[in-house]
Amino acid sequence: MISVVSGALDDISRAMKLRRVWIALAHEDIGDQHRRTTLGPLWLLVNYLAFVGTFVFVFQPAGKDAAGYSAYVAIGLMVWFYLMEVITVSVSLFKREQSFIEGTTLPLFVYVMRLTVQSAIRAGYAIAGCVVILLLSGPALTIAWLWSLAGLLLILVATPAVIAIFAFIGAFFPDSEFIVGNLMRVGMFFTPVFWVNNGQDPVQTYAYNWNPFTSFLEVVRLPILNEEFPVHDFTLTGLTTLAAWVVALMLLGRYRRQVVFMI
Amino acid sequence: MVFIKLDNVSLVYKLHEKLTLSAPDRRMSDTGGRIANSGRNQFVQALDGVSFELKAGDRLGLVGPNGAGKTTLLKVLYGIYEPSGGSIAINGKVDALFNINIGFRPEATGRRNIVLRGLISGWTEAEIEEKMEEIIAFSELGDFIDLPFKAYSQGMAARLAFAASTALEPEILLMDEWISAGDASFQEKAKRRMDELAEKAGIIVLASHDQSLIERVCTKTLTLRHGRVESMTMAAMEAA
Repeated sequence: MISVVSGALDDISRAMKLRRVWIALAHEDIGDQHRRTTLGPLWLLVNYLAFVGTFVFVFQPAGKDAAGYSAYVAIGLMVWFYLMEVITVSVSLFKREQSFIEGTTLPLFVYVMRLTVQSAIRAGYAIAGCVVILLLSGPALTIAWLWSLAGLLLILVATPAVIAIFAFIGAFFPDSEFIVGNLMRVGMFFTPVFWVNNGQDPVQTYAYNWNPFTSFLEVVRLPILNEEFPVHDFTLTGLTTLAAWVVALMLLGRYRRQVVFMI
Repeated sequence: MVFIKLDNVSLVYKLHEKLTLSAPDRRMSDTGGRIANSGRNQFVQALDGVSFELKAGDRLGLVGPNGAGKTTLLKVLYGIYEPSGGSIAINGKVDALFNINIGFRPEATGRRNIVLRGLISGWTEAEIEEKMEEIIAFSELGDFIDLPFKAYSQGMAARLAFAASTALEPEILLMDEWISAGDASFQEKAKRRMDELAEKAGIIVLASHDQSLIERVCTKTLTLRHGRVESMTMAAMEAA
């Protein structure tokens, strides 16, 4: 057990010393994805705004506060898109990095951090769009927004662990790339991204209370919309993050040397 | 003192795909390592009891049929594959060239790719800056250095990869057979640089099917077959 954890920590420590590598590669990734396009990475912002606009236009409940719903959807989509992208892309991470893994001695956590930075940069455009929508749609700018920022940071802390777990799952079970992709697409409808749980619909109430993604959304959304510190959601998100890191360390320590034979 | 010492090194790994529907007995393929079954699992014995020693100045050529274990052995030496048994002792700064395209991004320029390659190899920014012009000069890419890597021919890519990998003068250089991608003048230039590296008390291990390349570059030849050492001979120039 100790050797497993120390092996994982050694991999992480060596990856952290190579931070210039994963930061440079992540920037190259973003540049490559939008090379020769007119708007470049701004397409990420356009994409996000188009989704928010569509959801607000189609799903805004009649007679409800339009501005409040816009803010609700804007935060929900921002966090959900981030989580969905991180998880679905992670499953094929080691397969995409095959030539590096088979040709260099870079620690595996370098690839995890490369995707973490890339996802964070992409999310930055959605965050910028979200802030503009929030400022236009009316929630008062209060000190409670700092709790939302803390919520975002907590999600960021969880990200490398989540990426590592799903990357190992993808390496062990190639089918998981399609299973996870489909589950995440369907999962959006079972997560309070654009629907509001009012306690009237038993399916929505069940999904709200038992979907682990709910708390990840609410740690960012509730402080801004309700000006409150959601203790329950922060606790759940914190515990989920902790559990994810424990699992990620176990996987990294136990299987990092086997990945090269599995991809 | 730079050295490599392998003692009874073996590498067995589990296959995660069924290779064949034939009877689950122990079989020997015409090429490649040996395949064995244990219950529902299949294992490949890629290296078996490999032992040899290299000292400063040695240039070893790895030869053998496809799948004999040449690239696997290089990757064990580099630390990509962890051996299943035996022991490895290596003293010296190791660099490797297995694949021309590793670390090179098709959309980035040659100059930017040198930076990325340097970062991946653990160079400092000062070292990258210091070696940049030397690498460009050695690669003879001229104005192509500021064009995207995807515009390069295989030979141009090979020049850039070789120039970048040898710029910091590794004490142990491991190379796969890609070096034959370059033209005759590049191969001659590469040989001179490898001679220089070896003369500075380095070790070179080169895997190739090109017998003339092995004869030009190497002082020793190790023949692998089915993951085992078949023979280890001194080249004519060394023996003389």
